[in-house]
Amino acid sequence: MVLAEHLANGLIFSSIIVLGSIGLSLVYSIADFANFAHGDTMTVGAYSAFVAFGLVGGLGGSVLGLPFGFFVALLVGIAVAAVVAVVTEKVVYEPLDIDSIGLLITSIGVAFIYRALIQMRFGADFTRFGIQPLRPIEWLIPYGIRITKHDVAIVVSAAVLVGGLHLLLQHSDLGRKMRAMADNPDLARVSGIRTDRIKLWTWLIGAGLAGAGGVFLGLYNQLSPRMGFNLLLIIFAAVILGGIGSVYGAMLGGFLIGMINQLTPVLSELGALLPLVPDEFGIPVGIEYANAIAFVIMVAVLLVRPNGIAGEAT
Amino acid sequence: MSDAEPAVDPRGADLSKDDTVLRVEDLQKSFGALVATDHATFEVECGTITGLIGPNGAGKSTIFNLVSGFYEPEGGRVEVNGTDVTGMEPYEVAEHGLIRTFQTPRKLEGMTVREAMLVGPRKQPGESFVKLFTSPGEVGESESRNLAEAERILEEFEIDHLATQPATQISGGQMKLVELARAMLAEPEILLLDEPAAGVNPTLQNQLVEQIRRLNEQGTTFLLIEHDMDFVMQLADPVIVLDQGSVLMEGPPQRVQSDTRVIDAYLGGGA
Amino acid sequence: MSALTDPSEYWADLTRPEQGVLVFVVGFAALLLVGLLTGNLAPTYFLYLVGLAGMYSLLSFGLNSQWGFTGLINFSVAAFFGVGAYGAALVSADTSPIAGGFNPVVGLVVALGVAGVLAILIGVPTLRLRADYLAIASLGLAEVVRLVVLNERQWTNGSAGVRGIPSFFEGWPLLETFPSAMANLELALPGTQLVLGAAFWRGLLNVALVAAFVGVTYLVLKRVHRSPWGRVLRTIRSDEDLARALGKNTYSFKMQSFVLGSLIMALAGVFYAHLNLFVSPGDLDPVTTFYVWVAVILGGSGSNRGALFGGFVIVAIREGTRFLNEFDWIPVDVAPLRLLLIGVLIVALMRFRPEGILPPQRELIWPDAVDEAPSRPKSAVREVKGGGDDE
Repeated sequence: MVLAEHLANGLIFSSIIVLGSIGLSLVYSIADFANFAHGDTMTVGAYSAFVAFGLVGGLGGSVLGLPFGFFVALLVGIAVAAVVAVVTEKVVYEPLDIDSIGLLITSIGVAFIYRALIQMRFGADFTRFGIQPLRPIEWLIPYGIRITKHDVAIVVSAAVLVGGLHLLLQHSDLGRKMRAMADNPDLARVSGIRTDRIKLWTWLIGAGLAGAGGVFLGLYNQLSPRMGFNLLLIIFAAVILGGIGSVYGAMLGGFLIGMINQLTPVLSELGALLPLVPDEFGIPVGIEYANAIAFVIMVAVLLVRPNGIAGEAT
Repeated sequence: MSDAEPAVDPRGADLSKDDTVLRVEDLQKSFGALVATDHATFEVECGTITGLIGPNGAGKSTIFNLVSGFYEPEGGRVEVNGTDVTGMEPYEVAEHGLIRTFQTPRKLEGMTVREAMLVGPRKQPGESFVKLFTSPGEVGESESRNLAEAERILEEFEIDHLATQPATQISGGQMKLVELARAMLAEPEILLLDEPAAGVNPTLQNQLVEQIRRLNEQGTTFLLIEHDMDFVMQLADPVIVLDQGSVLMEGPPQRVQSDTRVIDAYLGGGA
Repeated sequence: MSALTDPSEYWADLTRPEQGVLVFVVGFAALLLVGLLTGNLAPTYFLYLVGLAGMYSLLSFGLNSQWGFTGLINFSVAAFFGVGAYGAALVSADTSPIAGGFNPVVGLVVALGVAGVLAILIGVPTLRLRADYLAIASLGLAEVVRLVVLNERQWTNGSAGVRGIPSFFEGWPLLETFPSAMANLELALPGTQLVLGAAFWRGLLNVALVAAFVGVTYLVLKRVHRSPWGRVLRTIRSDEDLARALGKNTYSFKMQSFVLGSLIMALAGVFYAHLNLFVSPGDLDPVTTFYVWVAVILGGSGSNRGALFGGFVIVAIREGTRFLNEFDWIPVDVAPLRLLLIGVLIVALMRFRPEGILPPQRELIWPDAVDEAPSRPKSAVREVKGGGDDE
């Protein structure tokens, strides 16, 4: 059945989007601006891992069809993305004496600098990690699902990272303060939380997750200097759907947007899949409009519930 | 300049309905679990300077935002001059004659003081894009009138020397005076002042008190939030005391000052 | 105060940045002139560059009346430009996949109409919200417009683009045949006999067209910027709540400002279609949007002459970097180099000169009113009288 295949792909893509949207949402609320360089932070993570994998790729045995070296490269990607973001915060954003709108515009400049540097070093073309593509997992094929062990690795790794973040947010002092600050930055400030330190951690965590998302996107598709910027619209849609500043909203929003994105081909056959709807019913949208659907959802959310599904209704 | 000139001395007038400029009934608002405004009810009589005080977090600013349309109330009613303005957009509330100022006015970048003043007048013909081209004469006339009026008010406020200064380069205290002057250009039926004395040095504060009193004598009704007790007590009558989002008591300043409930609220809530 | 009657006083009256800009402009013009006279710069190409500069100035005007006046962040400049270009192309070109072959003026009207509707559609959900929502949504809009142009082949020819766009003056009396008529004219210059082809005269007509567009737009913007209407927009930019509290329907003002800017961007697109005579999805490259942003921030947000200046700087950057590819010792491709340049310019401007090079400096009060009002002692801000030479 076609639907199962699309759902499986949706799950994989969602994992990547969730990793991107959590960081964007956190930075949005805690550093108080829409960071248009977030997508390119993902690209930074992906290419860092690409370089690292070139060095340590042959390392050790393998898990889920991926050599240990890949996981080392993943950690490098996360670390580099996090460090680059923190350095950017320290060097570019912090010394600025402008409001959040000024920061937003600056972040566009930062995005271009990231992308330009990557493109200068690696060229504008697509590349791949030097990992042998796998055949789909055999026992799933009868169910109409064609996914590889690599895809499973993406979902599992993303789940581990998101689960780790959940534990951090719920059971650590840092996490509680981050949530407090995301909820209401002013209140957190007056209640004596050292907001500068929290802000730095937010950049680290947000960009680290974005870096991981970039690495997985590179594994799932390919790498290109534009990969992150192209994803930015979808990630913003996820964050707005989830409600800016809500980490769990971002997870939910990322999951939904990722799913819908991959389910686009199904929309034209909607009637056949849903009960109580005539078989001929369908929304005829081509797969090429997957991003446009994210945009339409975003606009609809802004019209109906601008604070997102997890935010307070106004 | 205001047509709300009271027929009788405001302080001696009886509380007949027609003299009420602002009526707030049973107003409610909460943010998540926090109840910011809890069934607040009060009235502002025409021609008064009414003070709105209360300990930190008593909900003074929330009331201002609810009344002026910046927040939408969850329940209750706001009337300006007998018109129900509940749930209206701030600009619509302003069109009904309720003008407000802000606690920390942001500087208008790239404008001189008198340009900043000229934002004040309501319903300027030159605010219509089409009229700029179809009837430039009318736009020019109204602009000349407004400019002359702005300069007259600045003179009355004794800050006319600031007229062509960049608005970003005057002091915070001077800005408060300019704000008040600008609000007068909007010809308010009732003017809400949000902490007019905050961050203003004593000399300018006296000037501010003087101006508010003078404008009041000329017929403008004021409702003001203020932290500085001396400032409120020398200016406002009556004074409304808010605590935990609802009205604790209301009365002339002397009575309020000596009321034990008010003292308790300040000591208890402020700690 | 005129540059011609008393140059030294004129010079002394300028601010330092103004002097710098003047030196740059004069130097740049001199460079081009030298290029023209020495034959290194073909006259037709020169006219094409001037046309492009005018086009970028229009785009900068458009963004300036959104971001500079009101503080609206529009990241879909390229999309509105594209709507203008495609609107003009699809209505006027013979090969248009939908009803083409109309007079270019019809194309102009249709293109502006579509751009206006699109601006309203994107404004309705976002302009009531915080300024960054428009930024995000407009980024999405740009992508959607690009996708539609690329994929709806039955309407747009897809990636093949639209060819056969006539010149803007086709169907006009006199002007239609002007280039071919002039082509036979021989100019007797001292020393040489110069024959300028039809392409040159066509280029000249295009420059005249863009000069007219730029001139009219500039005059309109200058008038509205110093009006009470413009003052409300500038108040919104600094403090929207204040404007609301003073009884201004800020949503309506923001919408007007957004639509006005989008129309100007579409006008730039219409001109481009008739300049280039060919449009393709490549013209909707989002990078165009950020070139224009650099132009507006560089020129000085809110300053119309700054936007004009910024438009010319973009052409200098774009066409200047084009030659870099010819130098073998530069190891990298020009595309990322330009991208880097834009990025660094944006960051550096926001850091060191957020107000731009030519921020609006003079008081903006309706000219008649200032003349009639009693005069006041002048101070830091210079006053503008009726005949002021900038906004």
